[in-house]
This record gives sequence, C-alpha cells and structure tokens, in this order.
Amino acid sequence: MTAPASPVGTGIGLRQPHYREVFERRPALAFLEVHSENFFLEGGASMHALERARAAYPISLHGVGLSLGSADRLADEHLARLERLVRRVQPALVSEHLCWGAVGGVHFNDLLPLPYTGEALALLADRVDHVQSVLKRQLLVENLSAYVECRDSEMTETAFLAELARRTGCGLLLDLNNLYVNAVNFGFDAAERLDALDGASIGQIHLAGHSVVDDCLVDTHGAVVCDPVWQLYMQACRRFGPKPTLIEWDTDLPALDVLLQQAAQASDIAEREAAHA
Amino acid sequence: MPDLLAFQVDFAAALRDGARTPALARRLAGETDIVDGRMAIYRANMVAAADKALSAAYPVIRQVVGDEFFHGLAREYQRVTPSTSGDLTGFGARFDDFLASFEHTQAMPYLPDLARLEWAAHLAYGAADAPGWDAAALAEIPPERQDAIRFQWSPGLAVVRSAFPIVRIWTIHQPGFDGAFEVDWSQAETALVARDGFAVTVTRCPPDQAAFIEASLRGASLADAASDTLEHHPDFDLGAFLARALAARLVCGATY
Repeated sequence: MTAPASPVGTGIGLRQPHYREVFERRPALAFLEVHSENFFLEGGASMHALERARAAYPISLHGVGLSLGSADRLADEHLARLERLVRRVQPALVSEHLCWGAVGGVHFNDLLPLPYTGEALALLADRVDHVQSVLKRQLLVENLSAYVECRDSEMTETAFLAELARRTGCGLLLDLNNLYVNAVNFGFDAAERLDALDGASIGQIHLAGHSVVDDCLVDTHGAVVCDPVWQLYMQACRRFGPKPTLIEWDTDLPALDVLLQQAAQASDIAEREAAHA
Repeated sequence: MPDLLAFQVDFAAALRDGARTPALARRLAGETDIVDGRMAIYRANMVAAADKALSAAYPVIRQVVGDEFFHGLAREYQRVTPSTSGDLTGFGARFDDFLASFEHTQAMPYLPDLARLEWAAHLAYGAADAPGWDAAALAEIPPERQDAIRFQWSPGLAVVRSAFPIVRIWTIHQPGFDGAFEVDWSQAETALVARDGFAVTVTRCPPDQAAFIEASLRGASLADAASDTLEHHPDFDLGAFLARALAARLVCGATY
C-alpha cells in the first residue's frame, strides 16, 4: 500500500484560537495537523476553517478516538465518519494511536496503554488492515505516552510497532516526546529504542512538551519541546533522514509565534543533520 | 475471557472506581503506591476530557455556576452518563436531564432550559451549511398547492421554550456583551436558535411564531401549521412572519 507524497518539512497543529492569524499570515509551513474528531461535523465555522486550511496547506488528520486496541470491538460508526472526512479533506497524512480507549460500551476518551503481547499484536494487525482497507490508504500509528506498564508485555512498544508495520504496511508516527516521557517514567534508554526502528517505516515525527507531576512526566502538549527531546530529534534526523515533523500543542495554547519558533528550530535541526548525513 | 479483554475490563473498573485498583495492580508493573498515583493521572484525564467537552457545549452554564462547580458537574455527569463514543461532540446531549435531577442544582431551576438552549446552539454550530430559499420561489408555487407546502427549515434551527428568561441569560454571557447585567426573572422566554452564515444566533421568539415553527418542524403543512397557530394566537400574521423568516434564511426549501 503506498501513501500519497508526504509533505517534507515542519508543520504545526491548527487550533481554533489561531485560525484567523494563520489564514492572514500564511506562515511558511509544510503542513497543518488537526484532530480528526473535531471535524466530524456536517458544516459550520469549523468545517469552513478546515476547507480554508486545506486550500493553503497539506493537511494531516490525527485521530484520538478510534481506539484501535479495544478488545471487544472496533467502532465502525467512528471509522465511517473518519472515512467520510478523509474523502472530503484528501489529507496528506492520517494517523491514530497505539492504544485502547473503550470497553463494554464505555469510552474513556483517553489514550490507554496496551500490554505488548502476541494476542494484542494479532488484534492490532487485524484492526490496522481493516482501517487501511476502509480508508484505502496507509495509516500511521503513533507510540503512546504512558503512566503505567503492563506486567504481561512480551516485547517493547517499539518492537511491537515495528512488527505491526511489517505485518500491515502501516507507517509509524514516532512521537519523540512520548518516547522520552516513557523512558523517564519507566527507566529505559530512549536513544536505544530509536536504534531498533527501521527508518523506512517512519512516516511522521511528533515533537511536544510535557509537564512533571511528582515523579511522573505527563504528556500535556502544553509546553515547549525540552532539550532531551531535541537531542532525540537530532538523533532521529541523522538516523532516519528528514521526516514530516509536527510541533504539537494542545493545552495552554501560546501565541502562534511560539509555535512557529519551535517549528523553525525543528527545521534548522533537520537541515543541519541532513547536511551531516 | 481473552487476556487483553480481561485487562481492559479491570482497567476500566479501576478508572471508574478507585477501590477496584488492586485487581488491576496485579497486572501492572511497579509498586502499589506508585501505580495508585499513576492511575490517579488517568482518572484526572478522564474528568478533564468530560469537563472540556461540556465546557465547549455549555460555556454559559460554566460562567453561571463557576469553573469549580462546573468541574464537579462534569465529573458527576460523566459518572452517571459515561461517554459511549470516541467523538465527544455528542457527549453533553443529556446534560439538561442531569441538571433537572441532580440534587445540587435544584436551587437553579432555569439550568435545564438553559442547557437545552446551549445544546441547540451547539448542534446548530456544526449543522450542514444551507443556502437560503428565495421568496420568489414561494410566490411561484401555484395558489392551489400553497396549503400543502411543507417547509424545510435550515439545519440546526430549533425552538427552545422556557418559563425563565433564558435568552436574556444567554445574551448577557456572550463574549463582548457590555450592556447592563440585569435579568427580569419574571419573563418567560422562548428562544429561536438558528444559523446566520457560520454564526449561531439566539433570539427571542414570540409565542405565535414559536407555535408555527414547532408545528412545521413536526411535519405539518403550511395550512395545518397556520390553523393550529391561529387557534391559540388569533393575531398571528403569517405573511409578515414568512417574509421575515425567508429574509433571515431560516427556510432552505419546501415540498408541496
């Protein structure tokens, strides 16, 4: 399964308080990313803003609610709405998370961790196959930030994702902040995990900030990218070459210029590392 | 039960009820007290998601009751009406019923109607875009068919009745409102929620117009809706109302 040409360079998340400024200033960005579920609407101001964004930039649709790993069922009605949005928007990238969020008909609207077992891998491979056949395109699957780890896991999340990509042809959305958050929360070496990945399967990189609660890093997407994550980004650029890269910011949204500065920093790193490669 | 499903059932139980954490903790790595702290992060995320979704749909109620009380309402509403979808747009659909029955909102009996108004505005925000319908098109319908006209009202259009001044309460809590912050609590108001382009409008709707629109929304023909309305509101001026409704693009089509 081939993906459409993906946008090379750096993008930002497009959030409602920035709509007007983005459309007026048209900053030089490789793409804009939105949360798919915010656009499961028939019409109105949000859909109009997405149409305007789409006319000016490639769009990345980032889903937070499909819950690929829910053991009891995949929400077909949710997938149908996503399919309709994909048809309408013709995005450059479509992504979801390696997680579950619902069981027994109750949805927690959160990205909850899976045990990385053979059973879960078989389920996820079936689900990703199904989603890709419904959407008629490649899906990118993102590594998760997590606060608990399952005792039953038989492999690392990274190995799980690499195998999922091998079985289904899906791409990986490598979130370096999530990888760093987990490395701190669970005490592993993030750089080592990067080395285990195949660059060809990586379709996008996410960079974001987190907050610290007691002994735990919490993935809030509400701060600038921290130095260790920039270090990982340098390593990733060197190892995997340039990938579409997103500055992700969802809570305590700052001025647009802060996002643009972070995006420029990412572009500088990607260019510098490409020159060294 | 397969292991993955059993794990998710245990995880869900621990999220909804902290006392159920020990059954889950056996499946998680790490010390019990650390796991407890980490599960508290997930629990806070869960309530934050409910708060955010309800705040998006009910910004006026949030202002009326205050952030802290609203957060408590979100927590309790989520407990009794858990989300069933990965898309939270529809999560607040039963907030009016919740506010009508919740013990700590009984002193604010106008809240359920205000919730119905805000929910109608929330639905109108994302309703399909519809072009207006030309008044000339109405004039072209042969006179003998006019009684049978059934209007198609623009998507998102709704009438919300109340014994309280809900339109006034809504208006004074809109961003940029700088008038007097006074409410005449003796006023019963009916709201007309509609779209003007991409903007959602909320206006006071006179009882006769509300009766006509409601009958028409239920599927009544022009003649039946008009006669129903005139029965209770003998001064209803159908022609003047239709001219205004068409000019405001409340109607997007008709069958006859």
